[in-house]
Amino acid sequence: MSKALVCTCEDVTVDDVEAAIAKGFRDVESIKRYTGFGTGICQGKTCLTTVAQLLAGTKGVSPEAVLPFTPRPPLQPTELSVLASLDVDENEAPQGGVPLSAGPAPEALRSKEPVPKRADVVIIGGGVMGLALAHNLAKRGCTDVVVLEKGYLCAGASGRNGGGVRMQWGTEANIELAKRSVELMKQFAGEMGINIWLRQGGYLFLAKSQAIAERLQRNAQLHNRHGVRTEILAPDAARDLVPQLSLKDVLLAAYHPEDGVIFPWPFMWGYAQVAEKRGVRVETFTEVTGLVHSGGRVREVQTDRGNIAADTVVLATGAWSPKVAKLAGVALPNEPHRHEILSTEPLKPFLGPLVTVLDTGLYFSQSLRGETVGGMGDPHEPAALEQGSTLRFLARFGRALTEQLPILGKVKVLRQWAGCYDVTPDNNPILGRTPGLENFLQMSGFVGHGFMMAPAVAERMAEWMVSGVSDDLFTRFNLSRFSGGPLEREDMIIG
Amino acid sequence: MRRLVPVPKESAITLDFEGTPVPAQEGEPVAVSLLLAGQPVLARSVKYHRPRSAFCLSAACSQCLMRIDGTPNLFSCRVPARGGMRLQRQNSYPSAKVDVFSAIDWLFPSGLDHHAMFAGVPVADKVMAKVARHLAGLGLLPDAAPPPRAPPELLNTEVAIAGGGAAGLAAAQALAAAGVPFVLLEREEALGGRWRLGAPEPGAPPSLLLPRTAAGLVRMRTTVLGLYTGPRGRFLASVSTGAEGPRLVLVHAPRFLLALGGHSPLLPFEDNDLPGVVSGRAASDLVRRRGVLPGDAPAVLGHGPELSALVALLEEAGARPALVLDTSASAAAGALAGKPLKAHGRTWVQALSVELATGRRKKVACDAVVLSVPPSPAYEVARHAGARVVFSPELGVFVVETDAEGRTRTEGVFVAGDALGGTTAARAADSGRRAAAALLREAGR
Repeated sequence: MSKALVCTCEDVTVDDVEAAIAKGFRDVESIKRYTGFGTGICQGKTCLTTVAQLLAGTKGVSPEAVLPFTPRPPLQPTELSVLASLDVDENEAPQGGVPLSAGPAPEALRSKEPVPKRADVVIIGGGVMGLALAHNLAKRGCTDVVVLEKGYLCAGASGRNGGGVRMQWGTEANIELAKRSVELMKQFAGEMGINIWLRQGGYLFLAKSQAIAERLQRNAQLHNRHGVRTEILAPDAARDLVPQLSLKDVLLAAYHPEDGVIFPWPFMWGYAQVAEKRGVRVETFTEVTGLVHSGGRVREVQTDRGNIAADTVVLATGAWSPKVAKLAGVALPNEPHRHEILSTEPLKPFLGPLVTVLDTGLYFSQSLRGETVGGMGDPHEPAALEQGSTLRFLARFGRALTEQLPILGKVKVLRQWAGCYDVTPDNNPILGRTPGLENFLQMSGFVGHGFMMAPAVAERMAEWMVSGVSDDLFTRFNLSRFSGGPLEREDMIIG
Repeated sequence: MRRLVPVPKESAITLDFEGTPVPAQEGEPVAVSLLLAGQPVLARSVKYHRPRSAFCLSAACSQCLMRIDGTPNLFSCRVPARGGMRLQRQNSYPSAKVDVFSAIDWLFPSGLDHHAMFAGVPVADKVMAKVARHLAGLGLLPDAAPPPRAPPELLNTEVAIAGGGAAGLAAAQALAAAGVPFVLLEREEALGGRWRLGAPEPGAPPSLLLPRTAAGLVRMRTTVLGLYTGPRGRFLASVSTGAEGPRLVLVHAPRFLLALGGHSPLLPFEDNDLPGVVSGRAASDLVRRRGVLPGDAPAVLGHGPELSALVALLEEAGARPALVLDTSASAAAGALAGKPLKAHGRTWVQALSVELATGRRKKVACDAVVLSVPPSPAYEVARHAGARVVFSPELGVFVVETDAEGRTRTEGVFVAGDALGGTTAARAADSGRRAAAALLREAGR
């Protein structure tokens, strides 16, 4: 049938791109994510020019606002085995990375309209937390809400994670939140009208040390008590789930078949579009520059598009939260830590579960599109808001992955990127009122798993904000816990 | 598509194409062998299962991906033919020639919106997720794990040059003349880029040679992956291919000249992905390097300095263009002004519909459609280094922002040639020389 193609890797047509532009996506990064152009094997070489020309020809779009999407290394598909051939000094801290920061979003992308002068609730951060909260508030009748996002939707960690969703956690609170989140994810497409492609292939945790093995066994019992049917598997049984898996050093595995993977991006679009229909304002490319506070309250949120007086201000900026909180004189104990990730060429289904090794932080899964998506934390990663990509990561990950699943040696890496974990001292989030600033609510510190928790956390938070009925979540994980007393630590962090 | 030169006996080999023997010339890209053997469809597209064939011949599109000797998703336009090589098409059932899934293309004439498709329809969305998973993806897992790879080659130099086309080569000549150590990485088996493989432009200088110099090191068949930073500063990461298999080559240097040329864009018109639609650079490469005529009666369209040169090259090689269409506002001599509307044909292009500037529409029978437009600058590696990339409304492409000498805003990183916007080979060489002069000054030479 007749079609005019823009991107032949992903079969994206001129009509698809024009529809995305008409839907309001006016930057190349968003058009890429929404249509899928440039995400295939050529990584935009054939198609980017056409998209740029279509966007540049759109009324109201200035040439300065037409910017290429961030070109991800490698420039050509590269075999994992070749990348794995590079020796890495494991005692050295990773340094630098590409692309280096491209600086703040250009003026041309910012709306010329001023932001509203006041709002009941201002949510800082248009990631999954902030947008899910906005949606849940609007659903409960609280529609005078403004969400401020300094980039495009999906620019932060919400758009950079591997899409893992699991109920295998080390604390009761996280298990229950994750269970609820998965329920809500199953309803997402129906409520929001956009697919998130939840694929429940399970999570397979491999233990390579006695300590991790014991932790998995202990946590499996906890899961079972909460109705999560995690099984402890012998190494051979793990290989039944993942053929050709190397069992070297594997002592045992924990497997929960109802964990899975989703596509992160449609969450942002889904929450935003339904919230906006109810009256919420989602303001992208709008950066918060100041927080005016007096008498124990935040009075006004200052932005590069004007100031907003607010009754309640919610901080949901993930790894950027300490930086933004400082504008109100609040010191958060969170630290940003880069986590690198990559995606390979798309293959037909070969991998059911997301496989992870807690000992090293290696994880990998197969997306519904067929790409192998995976990452691995670096123990020497310094705390910094750094989102560059390193060759060191490709080498470390390539080696770890091809040792775990040698058949992937000739599989080619298409692109690498990075995002920031928002790490707290006890690996648990910071939620609820800020001591000393009554109406400044915290919603950060999710240590790399905020994405999967967001649907449930946002639901509880909106209910708590609207009804005023106390909820243990916001006292238990309050910022005040760091001022004294023992901390309950989450020990199932991957990466 | 036909050979202009018969295959010499000593390099005549046979490939195994899904069980069928196919004659080939040793060393030529297998995609070319298959096209010459009358196999138009090399692949089926990922979503609509549309028939696909080589478009760019430079590993910059995905239209020729095949499974070769048990490895999925290889650019068949870059894999040299060897006797007995096993070639298989992917993503089709029961065969790429008759693929039942191509029904998807017909069932969804105005496209398939994966965001809204069955969203929230009970049961249907669950079934769709399962079906979609099996429809997605291209190849199957490789047959085997690779042999151990050679350890990376680590090089240090004063100037690392990425790309040995007109700009990179001209710059390397200047550095060699001044005795400045450099490392030049070139993807092809020889230097020269367009001088060697492009349509010869009127007045272009004859092919340049790089003098043998103790200072310079040239790595052929080496593809650049990125410009990274690490504990010892910036380095170019690349992969060389040789008899021992692929190998990482890392080049540390205080200064870089990025001259990676550009990528052939696809012009938007209906069925622009039909086999038989090829880029202009692919067409000249076929004629000059492979001794192959892309079509006896091609429709040649596009704009820019290469269009008429390409027409001349094709005519000289024996083609009688069915149509020469200039898509810019001011048509070149000998060309009609207008724009393409639609390519016709089932598994190979048979005609092209166009709309002339006069408003008249016509359908022209042809056996190839050649798109000769200035390449989209390969800005990626410069952007890795933090260079600013902007959209040029005049050129309609993204270009790296530099000063007159090719200096980017990142210290020590220069860009030359087509990466600054498609131009003539002679101008590309000039920009390489200007950058080299600036690099020499900065290096205190």
